Amino acid sequence: MIDEAEFLELLDEELGLRVTPEDLTCDLDALEGWDSLHLLRLMSALESRTGRGVRLTDVIEATTLGQVLDAVVRDG
Amino acid sequence: MSIPSANHQPHTAHRGAAQTPHDAWTEIRRMRDEGRLVAAFPEMCSLVARLDRDGRARAGALLAGLDHDSITAAHPEIPTLTTVVTGNGTSAALRAPLAAEFARHGLALRLTGHGHYFADLGDPQGAAFQTDTELTVCLLDTDAVTQELGAVWTVEDCERALGALASRVRTFATEHDRKGSGVLVLTTVALPTRISRQLVDHRSRARLGRAWREFNSTLLGLGVDLDRCVVIDLDTHLTDAVALDDARLRTYAKVGLSEPLLQRVAEEAAGVAGTLRGRVRKCLVVDLDGTLWDGILGDDGVDGVHAGGSGRGAAFAEFQKVIAQLGSQGVMLAVCSKNEEEQVRQALCGRPAVALGEEDFVAIAANWSPKDLNIVTLTQSLNIGTDSLVFVDDSAFEVGLVRRALPDVGVVELDDEPALHPERLLAGDWFTTLRLTEEDRSRAERYRAEARRTTFRAEFSSHQDYLAELDLEVGVFRPGTEDMARIAQMTQRTNQFNLTTIRMDTAQVAEYDGGADTAVWGIHSADRFGDHGIVGVLFLRTPGDGFVVVENALLSCRVFARGIEDAVLACLLRQAVAEGGRVAVGLYRPTRKNHGFADFYPRHGFRPDDGAQQAEAGDKPSWMPTEDSTVRRYRHDLSALPAVPAHVTMTTLPEGVFHDRRG
Repeated sequence: MIDEAEFLELLDEELGLRVTPEDLTCDLDALEGWDSLHLLRLMSALESRTGRGVRLTDVIEATTLGQVLDAVVRDG
Repeated sequence: MSIPSANHQPHTAHRGAAQTPHDAWTEIRRMRDEGRLVAAFPEMCSLVARLDRDGRARAGALLAGLDHDSITAAHPEIPTLTTVVTGNGTSAALRAPLAAEFARHGLALRLTGHGHYFADLGDPQGAAFQTDTELTVCLLDTDAVTQELGAVWTVEDCERALGALASRVRTFATEHDRKGSGVLVLTTVALPTRISRQLVDHRSRARLGRAWREFNSTLLGLGVDLDRCVVIDLDTHLTDAVALDDARLRTYAKVGLSEPLLQRVAEEAAGVAGTLRGRVRKCLVVDLDGTLWDGILGDDGVDGVHAGGSGRGAAFAEFQKVIAQLGSQGVMLAVCSKNEEEQVRQALCGRPAVALGEEDFVAIAANWSPKDLNIVTLTQSLNIGTDSLVFVDDSAFEVGLVRRALPDVGVVELDDEPALHPERLLAGDWFTTLRLTEEDRSRAERYRAEARRTTFRAEFSSHQDYLAELDLEVGVFRPGTEDMARIAQMTQRTNQFNLTTIRMDTAQVAEYDGGADTAVWGIHSADRFGDHGIVGVLFLRTPGDGFVVVENALLSCRVFARGIEDAVLACLLRQAVAEGGRVAVGLYRPTRKNHGFADFYPRHGFRPDDGAQQAEAGDKPSWMPTEDSTVRRYRHDLSALPAVPAHVTMTTLPEGVFHDRRG
């Protein structure tokens, strides 16, 4: 399992993406430095970190980082 | 933040001193937080060079988001390549790894193109055919084959699909070679079990395997036959147990290659980009004890150190062979070892030198000075930059010292397992070039001749006396097809006497030479110690009205200070006058490395050109946008001509400056 603080740390460590808790509800398209392909790297980073599989289809449908985190928590 | 280690020396304490990959990544993110990634782009590049593969995969996402235009605006000296990333699937997945690998080579990436190979490469108006495109990377994955198959297929169907795809790629690549711009990098396509196992009988599987390899063989053939095509053989990377793809990414996101494999492709493509921009490593500097042989020469003596035989000795022998293999292809080899020189020379002539001997090294630095100082001395004697060197050592201390003191040097850290030495060295793919030339194969011999010249020179009290006895012969000639690769290589490798530093590939050189008002002049030289081969090039344009413009002039650093360039320029001007020429124009574009020759034209009676004269013929260099304000123009009115130095004998000259055109 992964909590919000760990998730933010992982975004920084694995993607070099510095985001605040407020950014988690921000639309991905409006998030500075975001590219949709980052989702793929984020997914594999999350799987390595949590040791559990993540559904890519859920991650791809997410429109905010918060929804990605929710999907990981839900799938996990 | 990196904590400097105990042996950290204060004078080298700068940010580039981050030692571990983790330190470097922390430092890069600190620069991000300070908003300095663009402003400190060169510094960031040297941090990226410290990262391991995992680190570069992390950094890619961050780097891909940087604005290219801001980078080039802030750092006009950073070489930029306009690059098309394309393929049959989601080729954009290559962008992040490519951004990281470019940064590792100190290059900026300007991405362009549509992303699909039909649009970018299959259309004559596509991005790969735009004149400013310098590199096109086309990723093909298994979907490129399977999408041609129906829901149910036979091995014959697959053979047809492979044949059709091969024919299409061959057409695209051939057309690119003829009319495209820059270099095209293609990947082969791997055959995964998920396809072969859809055939249930072994005979069909064998047939599929054969057809698939014939397909890849066709693609690899393009890399052999075409001047502007490089083919990356994915199979060789897959033997390193890199996954081909991820089923979910392939299915849901159309990303047909795994992230680690994309990273390998990016490494190779950035290597090609580096070659095109003169980022070429030329010399491998090796340690001896623990690197080339087992044991400590100073403690164990010449008979106490081992390579060859069985056990660890066999591993060291294997490593020596790999180094000899690099040396045979033009990589200069040098020794940097903390030992007594006499003992080192004995060992290199004796039993421990299994595959490498004293004569294989262009320089031997064996003494007790710090290795960074020895390396600097080496670069001076070989007349190359520290960024042309790769240093290999099994001592973490020496490796750390060189990394800190000479951040431009490529560093390979070995450990006490010699069986791993070859792959550690080869992993960096340091010396890759587009085409090997005759010059490469004979380079080591030429440097040995240079050593004999140095000994000879020591007999004379003045440089002029030495030159007078050197029997220097210089020939100028129009190059044949066989010379084009060497000339292209010179434009890519030469950094000091490269007056406008225009890098060209073989096809571009041939195109220039065959142009209606342009010509290439090759320069060849020889002296009493041997033949130098092709040592220089002039790129000449005769736009009319009695003008001859030297758009670029190159001279190999091996033959500096012999008056060759003076002789050739004098001959060119004389010949121009004999043919009724009015004005000679010389162009100089300053770079970080060619400032030593900024006065080349003024020294020969050329005067800085003022704005009023720019409207005349010969104004616009054919390869350069007019807005390039960094180019300095010098003109010579051909009244008082410089002389050919007395110690130079000119052997051949082309028939004419203005009248020797090719069709």
